[in-house]
Amino acid sequence: MASTGNMKGFYRQRKTTATKKSSKKSPIPTVIQTPATSSGGRKLDLQSECNESEVVLRQFDLNMAYGPCLGIARLARWERAQRLGLNPPQEIESLLKSGKVQMESLWGGRI
Amino acid sequence: MGIERVQCDYVSLDETFEIGKEKYHGQQYCHIYFARLHLMRTLLYSLVPHWKPNFPVCTVLELEEGKECVIVGTLYKHMKLKPRVLDEYSKQKSVVPLVKPHNFMHSDDYLVLEDESGRVKLSGNIIPPEYVTGIVVAVLGKESGAGDFLVQDVLDAGLPPQIEFPLKSGEDKYVVLVSGLSVGSSTSNPLQFQLLIDHITGHLGDEKAQLFASKIVQVVFAGNLVEIPHRILNGQNLASEDFARMSEPIRELDILLSQIAAGLPLDIMPGPSDPANFSLPQQSLHECLFPGSSSYNTFRSCTNPHCFELDNVRFLGTSGQNVDDLDKYSDAKDKLEFMERTLRWRHLAPTAPNTLGCFPFTERDPFFIESCPHVYFVGNQDKFETRIIKGSEGQLVRLICVPKFSETGVAVMLNLRDIECHALSFTLDL
Repeated sequence: MASTGNMKGFYRQRKTTATKKSSKKSPIPTVIQTPATSSGGRKLDLQSECNESEVVLRQFDLNMAYGPCLGIARLARWERAQRLGLNPPQEIESLLKSGKVQMESLWGGRI
Repeated sequence: MGIERVQCDYVSLDETFEIGKEKYHGQQYCHIYFARLHLMRTLLYSLVPHWKPNFPVCTVLELEEGKECVIVGTLYKHMKLKPRVLDEYSKQKSVVPLVKPHNFMHSDDYLVLEDESGRVKLSGNIIPPEYVTGIVVAVLGKESGAGDFLVQDVLDAGLPPQIEFPLKSGEDKYVVLVSGLSVGSSTSNPLQFQLLIDHITGHLGDEKAQLFASKIVQVVFAGNLVEIPHRILNGQNLASEDFARMSEPIRELDILLSQIAAGLPLDIMPGPSDPANFSLPQQSLHECLFPGSSSYNTFRSCTNPHCFELDNVRFLGTSGQNVDDLDKYSDAKDKLEFMERTLRWRHLAPTAPNTLGCFPFTERDPFFIESCPHVYFVGNQDKFETRIIKGSEGQLVRLICVPKFSETGVAVMLNLRDIECHALSFTLDL
């Protein structure tokens, strides 16, 4: 398997190649540079993003009861859930308002 | 001696149709479908215990074979003949003929019920020609061995609650509904429209006719006010005389409308051929297009759909796109039946955003009908038709199909006192 520094915490697998290991210079995650991924300027190092609050927020993103999470900011989605009477947990709101977390859903900017 | 025109209290309820602060930041239509499903499912869950008290309610994923239960979800109608963008790119010759049929129904169409957990094909006691994609219903039945859901009964939301019809003093007050003026088109006759204006403003006829005209309190133009020649709109470079031809219909319309605005309140709604946005809800035509008429405070440029109250009688109307789209994807004995269905489904335009252009709202569905109107009108239809429908809780609605004025010369007069209406016909035998 061709190895680079970014392999840790990266889920994608690659076919074993018979060629030399060090020839590839481009980072593995971005095989295709789509405008969405390049405009965000966000680091694609997924390991560091998986801290506790991010895990909680991702569970909120993936919870179907509050509707789709694509194309809407997390706080806006929380407020929508609130307005529709779905009683989303208060901790999510305080977490989002604290400002130290990613305001977009886990797919934000990548899809 | 002058006759004074009767007055009326007007309240606009168009706020829900205004796009205003809504932002488009690349979102897709899943949000409006979610809002619609959530709103209507909450409503249907409250109606189901009354409808089928002894059956459990479950989600699509919780279905078990042979277990009789009620599921609620959005309908999707799979239509063989529905044009698909991908057909243009398919290498083999497509089944669909190049000349598009007016109606895309086929005997092989089937319905699928969807909620967030999954989808299931429906069979049994549910007839695809009556339904379209986008309606939220509750169905009772059970899952068959083949994996479909065998429907025994269907529940739709029914007519929404209605504010009581105001008991009047007995005074006759008339509202005139017109649509499809198509000023600037080859079919419209300016003399016919001028006759209408003169009649409404009381410049025609003897004292009896003028007395009658003085009882008209409001005029509503339900869409297709102008028609700009198509060849000017197809994106080619325009010659200098074409610019004049492009703006002439609107200028002509402004002059005509200002004659009306000088006399009584009027509302204008945009339609499919007017210079407004294509997708629903169409926003009000800007007043800079009507320099003459907009100087009068009687002139109101409104959205499509349009909702307002006159002396506490609630009106709801569209310029026809919602019903015309239903006509392409389902079947009914007349246009009034489509209108009745939209009220019973509590949704003005269920085919939006599937086949009817729509703004991708994220937090609400503005086409959900919360309060039942007393008068429901649809413009730009082929002929004048009207009927009264009744709801299970005593609601009464007057349904009106307003015909295209440029083709029929017919406008509609509605009496606010008793919701009776009749046609106002202007024919020219030259």
